[in-house]
Amino acid sequence: MNNTLWKFLSLFIILAMVGVAGCAPPAPAPTTAPPAAEPSQPTGLAACQGQNLVLASMTDQYVAAFRVLVPQFNQASGANITLDELGYVDLYQKLIADFVGHTGSYDLMTVDIVWSGEFGANQYTKLLDAYMERDKAELQLDDILPVSWTLGEWQGTHPAYPLAGYANVLNYRQDLLAAAGIEPPTTQEALLDAAIKLTDAGNNLYGIALLGAKGPAVAQDYMAWVQQHGGRILDDAGKPVINSAENVEILEFFGELFQYAPPGATDYWWDQRETAFRSGQVAMMEGWSIARAGYEDPEISSIVDNVDIAVAPVAAGMEPKYGFGGWGIGVNADSTPEEQECAWQFIKWLTSPEMQKDWLKNDGAPIRRSTMTDPELVALYPWLPILLESFEKGDGDYRPRIPQYSIIQDALGTHVNAFLVGQETAQEALDAAQKQVEENWQ
Amino acid sequence: MITTSKQTLSRRQRWVGQMRRFLRGEGAYLAMLAPLLVFVAFIALYPLFFSFRISLFKYRLTDPNQTQTFLGLDNYSRAFADPVVLQSLRVTLTYVAGTVFFEILLGLALALLLSSEMRLMRTIRASLLIPMALPPLVVGLVWKSLYNADFGVIPFYLKEVGVNVGRGPLAELSWAMPAVILIDIWQWTPLLMVIFLAGLKSLPVEPYEAAYVDGATRWQNFLFITLPLLRPTLLVALLLRTMQSFKVFDTIYATTAGGPGSVTTVLNFHIYTVGMTFFDMGYAAALANILLVVIAILSILYIMVLERQQL
Repeated sequence: MNNTLWKFLSLFIILAMVGVAGCAPPAPAPTTAPPAAEPSQPTGLAACQGQNLVLASMTDQYVAAFRVLVPQFNQASGANITLDELGYVDLYQKLIADFVGHTGSYDLMTVDIVWSGEFGANQYTKLLDAYMERDKAELQLDDILPVSWTLGEWQGTHPAYPLAGYANVLNYRQDLLAAAGIEPPTTQEALLDAAIKLTDAGNNLYGIALLGAKGPAVAQDYMAWVQQHGGRILDDAGKPVINSAENVEILEFFGELFQYAPPGATDYWWDQRETAFRSGQVAMMEGWSIARAGYEDPEISSIVDNVDIAVAPVAAGMEPKYGFGGWGIGVNADSTPEEQECAWQFIKWLTSPEMQKDWLKNDGAPIRRSTMTDPELVALYPWLPILLESFEKGDGDYRPRIPQYSIIQDALGTHVNAFLVGQETAQEALDAAQKQVEENWQ
Repeated sequence: MITTSKQTLSRRQRWVGQMRRFLRGEGAYLAMLAPLLVFVAFIALYPLFFSFRISLFKYRLTDPNQTQTFLGLDNYSRAFADPVVLQSLRVTLTYVAGTVFFEILLGLALALLLSSEMRLMRTIRASLLIPMALPPLVVGLVWKSLYNADFGVIPFYLKEVGVNVGRGPLAELSWAMPAVILIDIWQWTPLLMVIFLAGLKSLPVEPYEAAYVDGATRWQNFLFITLPLLRPTLLVALLLRTMQSFKVFDTIYATTAGGPGSVTTVLNFHIYTVGMTFFDMGYAAALANILLVVIAILSILYIMVLERQQL
C-alpha cells in the first residue's frame, strides 16, 4: 500500500472519528419544560381550526368510543385528530421514546393511572392546571368524583385529565351461583370458598379467572389482591415493602386461588381472562368495570343475561375500599401552544357532562357522578349504582402512582409469575422482587 | 526569485503528478468506494461507537436532566457478576443448542428426502419455505394461540389422546423452553433444508459411481461419502443458525415474555428489559456489546469457513 493510500485511509478514519465525536453527551436538557405560552382567554373550538393532532390511545374498550367521537369533534371544530391505537406495552414505550426524544409525534395520549407520577415528575405532559383554572366555569369540576382525579393528578398538579374510570368489581355468573346455592361473596375468604365449590374441572368449569402471565398482567392482579387484603407495596415513607410478612401471606392466598382457575391462567393476559369468562369457562372474575357491557353482547359473549356484578370482596373485617384504575388523557409538553390549546379543547369537549353520555354509550367509562346517576344511562346499564359505590370508596393508589412504578411492576411481574409456576416460593419471590426494586430504585 | 518560482512550480507539478498516478491506480477504487465508506461510517460505525461510549456511562434515558456519569468498565464488570445475566446466558445457550441441533438434523433429513426433481417434491419444497416468509413476531403470536392451555388447538388434541398439558406448553417450567424451540424449528428448518439441498446438488457423482462399483449400501454412501463431502455446508449452516439463534427476541417477546418465571429469558430479552423497562441505557449497551462480541466471533468463524471453502 503506498503513502497516498495510507493518507486517504487516514482521512477516512478522521472523518469517522468526527462522526464519533458527535456521540458526545448531549447538552443537559432543562429540568423544567420550556415555558409555553400560558393560556389567556378561552378560545373555544375555534382554536382547533386547521390543527392536525395525533391521539395515541390504548386499545382498551374505550377506544371504540374514540372511533365514534373523534370524527364528530373533527367535524365540529375543523381540527384533524388522527387516532393511533396501540397495545399497553407499545403505547408506553412509544410515548417514552416520543417524550425523551422531544419529537412531539403525539399531541394527545391516554395516560394509565400508574403513569401519572412518572409523566408528571418528568414533565412529559403539559400541566393542565392553567387551562383548568381559566375554563373552570365550564368544566363542572365538582361533578367529577374525587377518586377520578387520581387518574391524572400528581403532587397537586394535573399532568393528565380524568378520562375513563374503572372500578375493580366482582363479575359472577348468577345462574351458576344460584344453582350451587352460593351468595355473591362479600369477603375474600368467601370468595375462595365459592371458587372451591364452583370448580368442576371434569366439566371444564372453574371457580375464578385470574391474571397470571409474566409481566404487567400478574403484577397488577397481585397488587389488587394486596389492596383487598389491606397489604401495602410502599410504607409511609414511600419506600418499597414488597416482601413484608403480610404480602407473603397474601401471595400464598393468591396462589391458592389459582388452584381453582383454568389451568392456563398462569399464562393469562387481560384478553384471555376475558375470553375465559365470556366463554362460560369460569364462574367468577374480578376485573375492571369497563368490560361489563360486553358480557351482554351476544356477538362476543356466551353468558348473556347470566352475569351480575358486586363490589370487589375485601378481607373479613377490613374497612371496604375498592381498587380503582383507568385512564387519564394528557397533552404532550413538546407540542406547540396552538396544538396544546386544541388538545385541551378536545379534552374539555369529550369530558363535558353532555358528551359523557355518548362516551358511555359507545363503550367509554365514567368519571362523573352525573353520568353514573343519569336515569337514561342507569336504565341502559343497571350496574352503574354498584360502580358509583365502588368509586365513592375507591382507592386509586393501591398501585403506587410514582415515577418508579414500572420498576415495581416489572419485579412483581417476573417473580409473582415465578411463584405461581413453582419456580420460587412466596418468600423467595417477594424477596427477589424487593431486591430487584431496590437495585433499580432512583 | 526565479529559483523560488521554479521550486514552487516543481513541487506543484510533482503533487499533480502524484495525484494523477494515484487516481489512475488504487485511488480510483477508493474514490468509487468513498460514498459507501462514508455511508458505513455513519450507519454502522456511529451507532457502534455510540453504543460503546454510553456503555461506559451511567445513563438513564428517562432522567429529565439526561445526566451521564462516567463509570469506566463498571457496567461490564456488573454484567459478569449479575446472576440474571449469567442465567439468561445459560438460557440462550440452551435455546441455541436446541434449535441448531434439531434444525440441522431435520434440515438435512428434509433435503435428502426432497432432493429428487419430481414435480411433487418441488411443490413440497416450495410450500415448506412459507414459514420463513412470515415475520417472527406474527409466528410467535400464532403459536401462542395454538399453545393456549384452555383454547389452543395443540393442548386440545394432546388432551384428547390423554396427555396432561398442565398449565399449557408455554406456562409449564419444563415445557416452555422446548415449546419455544419448536417454534424456531418450525420456522427455520426450511432454511437449512435449502442450504443442504444446494450442498447436495453440488456434490460430485464420481465417488458415488465408485462406491456403486464396490457394492456400497445407501447408508454407507451417506455415511462415508455424502456426510464428509457435506462438511463445509454443515459448517456454514451451523454457524449461520447459531448466529441467528443467539439474537432471538421476537419469538420470546410474543410468546412467553421470558417466562414462566425466567426459564425463557434469553440475553436479548433481558437487554430489552434493562433498556426499555428500566431505561438503563448504559448497562443495556454494555450487555448488547457483550452479545455483539459473541456474535462477532461466530461471524469471523463463519467468514473463515466460507473463505476456506472457496480455496
